[in-house]
Amino acid sequence: MSSGPSDRRQVGFTLIELMVALGIFLLITGAAFTLLGTSQKHYQTESQVLTSFQEARLGLDQIVRDVNDAGYPPPTFLNSSSPTLSVSSPFAWSPSYPTTSCQIATGGGGNCTTATAGDTAPGDFDLIIETNPNPQDPSCLPNCPVQWIRYQLQNTTPLPTLMRGVSNKFTGGDPDAYTAGALVPFVQNIVNTQVVQTVTNPLVAQYQAAYPVIFPGGAPVPIFSYTCDNSFPPPQTVACSGAGADNSPANIRDVIITLIVAAPLPDRTTGQARLVMLNGRGRRINPNK
Amino acid sequence: MRDGRQIQTKRTEEGIALLISIFILLLISIVAIALIVASGTETSLAGNYRSATAVYYAALSGLEEARGRLLSKNPDAFKTTNPSNFLPPPGTALNMGDTYYLINPDGGAPITPWDSSSTYPDNQFGVEFVPSSFSAPTNPSPTALSVWNRNPLQALNLPGPLYKWVRINAVSEKSLGVDADADSLADSTTPLYYDGVHFSNSPSAGPQVLELTSFAILPNGSQKLVQYLVAPVPIGLPPFFAALSLLGSSLNTSVSYTSPLPNTNFKVMGIDQDCSGNPTGNPPRVAIGVIVSTDVGTVESGGNGGAGIVPFSVQATNYKGSGSNPDVENMLAFPLNYQSPSGLDAVAQAIIQNADGVIPSGSAGTQQTYLSALVSSSAMSPTSPMTLVANGDLNLTGWHHTGYGLLLVTGTLTYDPDASWNGIVLVIGQGVLLNSKSGAGEIVGAVMVAKTRDSSGSLITGSYLGASAVNYNSNSASSPSDLGGQGIYYSNCWIQRAQPTAGNKILSFHEISQ
Repeated sequence: MSSGPSDRRQVGFTLIELMVALGIFLLITGAAFTLLGTSQKHYQTESQVLTSFQEARLGLDQIVRDVNDAGYPPPTFLNSSSPTLSVSSPFAWSPSYPTTSCQIATGGGGNCTTATAGDTAPGDFDLIIETNPNPQDPSCLPNCPVQWIRYQLQNTTPLPTLMRGVSNKFTGGDPDAYTAGALVPFVQNIVNTQVVQTVTNPLVAQYQAAYPVIFPGGAPVPIFSYTCDNSFPPPQTVACSGAGADNSPANIRDVIITLIVAAPLPDRTTGQARLVMLNGRGRRINPNK
Repeated sequence: MRDGRQIQTKRTEEGIALLISIFILLLISIVAIALIVASGTETSLAGNYRSATAVYYAALSGLEEARGRLLSKNPDAFKTTNPSNFLPPPGTALNMGDTYYLINPDGGAPITPWDSSSTYPDNQFGVEFVPSSFSAPTNPSPTALSVWNRNPLQALNLPGPLYKWVRINAVSEKSLGVDADADSLADSTTPLYYDGVHFSNSPSAGPQVLELTSFAILPNGSQKLVQYLVAPVPIGLPPFFAALSLLGSSLNTSVSYTSPLPNTNFKVMGIDQDCSGNPTGNPPRVAIGVIVSTDVGTVESGGNGGAGIVPFSVQATNYKGSGSNPDVENMLAFPLNYQSPSGLDAVAQAIIQNADGVIPSGSAGTQQTYLSALVSSSAMSPTSPMTLVANGDLNLTGWHHTGYGLLLVTGTLTYDPDASWNGIVLVIGQGVLLNSKSGAGEIVGAVMVAKTRDSSGSLITGSYLGASAVNYNSNSASSPSDLGGQGIYYSNCWIQRAQPTAGNKILSFHEISQ
């Protein structure tokens, strides 16, 4: 019987017990919330990076598809001189297209030029593809025109943008001039180079200095680099700059694409810019003549 | 009492531990889920690109398999694996609207692309051919199984490429949406042909253009349709201006020719025959063509060890062609690049590289067993001419069959007129054609003999061919009245059928957006 009241007193918690329990609980929840806060910051940054990544991936996919399809339909399709209905060259250039060819040189140089200062097409940051992406389009059958599809890096604020433009092929026309007016933003925040068409982008310059692994020696990374079919000797595919007389836009076989995109805002935890590098390769299968 | 205290103490501790554990578990779960969500998005984005690339190459592998198997010398050629029920025989054009499918079920559900309610229907056919009034693929279409569904690959249980089907069909101006001949009409019923430079509506322009359309789908649903247009590319042969072209040079002791003396039925005729042996009425070609003017007299009257065309009486009757009888002419238009040892030998090498079969070296019996097997299995037949090469001598003595296609002999060809050949016979290398036998056989098509290699087998340097020889009376001790058989008859039809091909050229590639 005497043990009865003593038993009842022990039901529930003493103040000390509660305080200790609460203290431990607060300590653990505090740590957990700090962790949660950090991971939330990470999550926000990551989702920004992912958005850029996704946009660049879609862009890359489209470029690869256009390059794979370059040169369709080849001139064999038509037993006549209808240059707007067949492709003169899978990759167009400027000036004097298609009569006189030009030399491609990655890392600047070469004598394929455009009307824009400091720009070459085909070049490190500019490419004009000639193809008919939708030959079965009911609206233009039976003679659907060939199109010029252009990718060009332009300087925009805050970061440069890869533009895409499509124009119907025009006999005797300069593909550079015809596509220049049709360019619309395609992939934003491209940081492959700080000097875009002679204009220096200060933000990209900062990024390039901060990431020596992505930009070896602080040098720009070409968006487009090329391999050419070398006819002699023996026939092989080599980097266009080493193809000698076969270094011309018509002989391009592969276009290797490297996109370096930055997230629009810096990392919330470190304050550093976040860059993502994507690689792809398009291969021309159509004959070039 | 002791028991009661123990129970109460336990209960208190259990409550706190449970509460704290639940809270901690909850917090850790939230963090973990957040991390999983973030990395999950990244994985699926990278996966998207990977599957787009994978499905592209899967579809491309289907195109390449079909392109490879269209070539008759491929060990898995459609002609070999599906001789009767798949594509029409070589040389026969595909009809517009007819479809043939290479299918790759790979252990899965049956593939019937012509059925629009099937798992993998061919909806692209309608896009291309409804305007040409072909509403659907042939139902059911002839099919061939992919190499991944045939032994030996099937037995290895390798995971093959994930393409499902490849459609093979003819194309027209209308289906391609082009006006090939610029007549402002998109023809929907005439198949297109390839003349080596352009497309053409004319069957005589060259081989037919075939369309290959490949469909691939991955288990995650990524799919791709890609398309080739292909046509066989012929190996460039020298032109055949004569039934028998005997090539020599002005520098070396030139050609020699000996006819089978007592046989007055032996003829060398430049009059063009069709593939059934009837005259075509086309302008006649040369009977015996040479490329050095002094060789005309050598062939007619003998010289350089040859007896010429004897007896004299057959000169007026058995050697007819575009000129006066006997029609032995200097072929002035014969291209210079085929008049040098290196030029002609390059042709021989190209044929060797692309031959359908190589006749084994060895005894006459070994060689003839090989040839007889081709005839008895119908691998070589009028509808399936072959390009055969003998790297060295070929002895046909005692072989009693008919061959079809192109025969290249780099050594000495010992002919026996119990055998016949329809097509092209090239004796380029040692340049010697001998016969000492009698029979009723003949060669229909064209024969070309040239010496590009010296007796040790090395290519003759310089631009002058060696002395080639045709001797139909190589054993003068035995001279039956039917020595040498019926002779050599020009046939453009057989020359065309015997043209060797180097492979199917990709004329265009196109990815179909879906």
